[in-house]
Amino acid sequence: MSFSLNEVEATAKRAARGAGYAWGIAEEAGKATRWLCAQGLDGPAELAKLLDMGFAGSLDQHMPQDLTADWVGEKDLCPLTCGAALSDYAKKWQADPLHLRRVAVPLLLLPLVANAVKCQNAVATITTDGINAVTDGTHLSCSDVDMSRADHVTVSTGGTLETTRPKQTRATPDPASWDVLTNFAFRTYAPATEQSRLLGAGAGLSDND
Amino acid sequence: MTDSRSHIARRDPATVMRLSRLGSLHQCRLSFMRQLTRRMANEGWTFSRPVFNIDDAGVGHAVYSAHGPERAYSLVAFAHDLPPEQRSDRVIAEAWDATFTLFDGVPTNEDIDRLSQNVPLQEAGRVSESELSLSRANRSVRLWAHVVDRLATGQQPDLEQIYKVGYLMRTTAVYGSGKFGAADREKTGNRPETNAPFQTEMLSVYLTRTFVRDLVQHMAQVKGGDATAKLDADIARWLGIGNSTGLGMAPFIVNHPILFNNWIMVREEAISRVRSIETASAEEDRAFREIFERSKLSMSWWHSEHPVQIKKLAALNADLSSISTYLSQEKLQHDYPWDRLVRWSETALSQEGQELVASLILEPYGDLVDGLSSCMADSNSGAHVINGAMPVTEVRSLFDQSFGWAMDLDWTAPENCARAWYVSEEKLEPRLGERFKEPIAEYEQPLAPARDAVRAQKALAEWDGEALIAEFLLRHPEHRHAVRRAQMATVAPYGEIHDNTISADVLPIDMLRAKLSFFGATHFDPRSDRWVRICMYSGAPYPEDLIRENADLWVYPEVQK
Repeated sequence: MSFSLNEVEATAKRAARGAGYAWGIAEEAGKATRWLCAQGLDGPAELAKLLDMGFAGSLDQHMPQDLTADWVGEKDLCPLTCGAALSDYAKKWQADPLHLRRVAVPLLLLPLVANAVKCQNAVATITTDGINAVTDGTHLSCSDVDMSRADHVTVSTGGTLETTRPKQTRATPDPASWDVLTNFAFRTYAPATEQSRLLGAGAGLSDND
Repeated sequence: MTDSRSHIARRDPATVMRLSRLGSLHQCRLSFMRQLTRRMANEGWTFSRPVFNIDDAGVGHAVYSAHGPERAYSLVAFAHDLPPEQRSDRVIAEAWDATFTLFDGVPTNEDIDRLSQNVPLQEAGRVSESELSLSRANRSVRLWAHVVDRLATGQQPDLEQIYKVGYLMRTTAVYGSGKFGAADREKTGNRPETNAPFQTEMLSVYLTRTFVRDLVQHMAQVKGGDATAKLDADIARWLGIGNSTGLGMAPFIVNHPILFNNWIMVREEAISRVRSIETASAEEDRAFREIFERSKLSMSWWHSEHPVQIKKLAALNADLSSISTYLSQEKLQHDYPWDRLVRWSETALSQEGQELVASLILEPYGDLVDGLSSCMADSNSGAHVINGAMPVTEVRSLFDQSFGWAMDLDWTAPENCARAWYVSEEKLEPRLGERFKEPIAEYEQPLAPARDAVRAQKALAEWDGEALIAEFLLRHPEHRHAVRRAQMATVAPYGEIHDNTISADVLPIDMLRAKLSFFGATHFDPRSDRWVRICMYSGAPYPEDLIRENADLWVYPEVQK
């Protein structure tokens, strides 16, 4: 099915929240998933892979322990949390390349690194187990990859945007992955009760006047 | 948006962004409906009705096309035979009197076939990138029957009844921006005619009004045959389109702080420019007085049965008398006449009256005001990106700037957090519930920016002021959304409501009215604290009559001499 990018963003945000992430991270997940779709990548499939890993309940184990060295967590790093930090913390990787060890669903790092370079009119290269992706924030040069995790990701400034991916205005996500997202999103909706039905919207059920 | 003429500053966000004031806003020259009708007249848009295929039971479809300089847009309308027991304005309704989509271009028969299988289902159907909006409407049962019966017996409807209700049908949702598969805003945002906010939605409603007029004539004809009267054009003009709006609209202004800021800031800039005029011409003085008189007539048709609005209308009527007295005593030509009027209004009028004055003084100054409308869209696509290099101390002062008023509030007191916004699994309807009486807290949406800012500020207190906010956010992702909003305030000083959106006495209708006033809505009629009916396009020329001379001031009825 063809979805608008707004639908992708809204569903991804709710799904990340439903999976237990904070609202601010869920907002990043929405924008990131949309950005990947705009590059012709299956953003919802990437997010679904991550949410199925269930990191949100024990995020401390999936975050870098020490920011002054290579980023490595007790367990695989969460790409949303680390990606948000890469976006916030461009200084950390602008002078020297930053190395991340054992990262889950590394493609989700791209849009958040893209945030940072777009603001600075710069270009960044993200190398994932030897595969290069280059972005100026708007365009992406990257082959089709499908990775659940990477042992080694390097983020650095510079690089050459060669063949950029054609931009897309719609998304046709893998249906099973989309179902994963809608199921997580469903957790953010309150079950309808008769009381909420009658009082919650402050309106009656008939308008024959 | 700065101008050397402006020496009377924009009003303070702390004044403007209070909910009671936002809930007292009135339409003005910058309203989205008026922007649309001005543009269509100036550019000489033409209109056609390529299809009107409605049977004797009132079931079928019709197409209305609007042709601009470069592109055409078409309303595809489906008319249904709705059993009364299914007529509900709620989002949870599943059938309507009429359903619509705005098509980008002119649809083929294949498009119409596809749409006929989806548009009548609304949320349960799918539209495509060729469609820009999805909407539906229900009849005002009483006025519909009155107009059909009168016309069918060769008579004209009673104008008093039309003034009282204002519309034959009210839309109960107008979805745009990618909802249910429709095109994203990005598809049309760069076109001159759809760059300003909500122009596709406003066009859809404008064409819907024409369809409804034609449909009521058709149904009268079916009933009355040869004896049927043709609806008088002067009466038809006062038929607007209603809108029934519930809570779904309230989160919008919280969720789009940059966009909402741009609307408010542009209006405040316009008010500031007009207040800064030292000398007004006799013609400008006269024009203002005329618009005020016409506005009074419109207000006289504004009724509500809701206690809050009854009180506000009583105050507004008293304000209108006070303004009349002021105008009979003062000339509006010398010594900063508009600033004097605004300053006087702040001492003499209710907020309804103050905001009416603020909107009305813009009317004589199209040259000074209308160009600002190009600043009302949200073109700042990077505003959501957090600046992690900002020191903690700077973020603290941003929180104080937007939410200083909230820092000393006891956020644990039940009356200050009595409510929670949530989304029901029933058609994803937004609702507002009682936090301490219903099991909803775990589903709460982030629609209490003030409370969340205070929480973040408390957490920041333990941090070194020189630390980067990025470090804080890595350890405290739960405050990320609050920090993002605080940073947005640097470019959007009017982006935050300066009131508690979860207090026991919050009135969501104030948030609805703030948004609807920018659409250009009139005759706000709250049906409860969280649901309002309004009127759109009442008095506007129909497409075949739209010319420059009547494209703008139609919202003010002409006073019979």
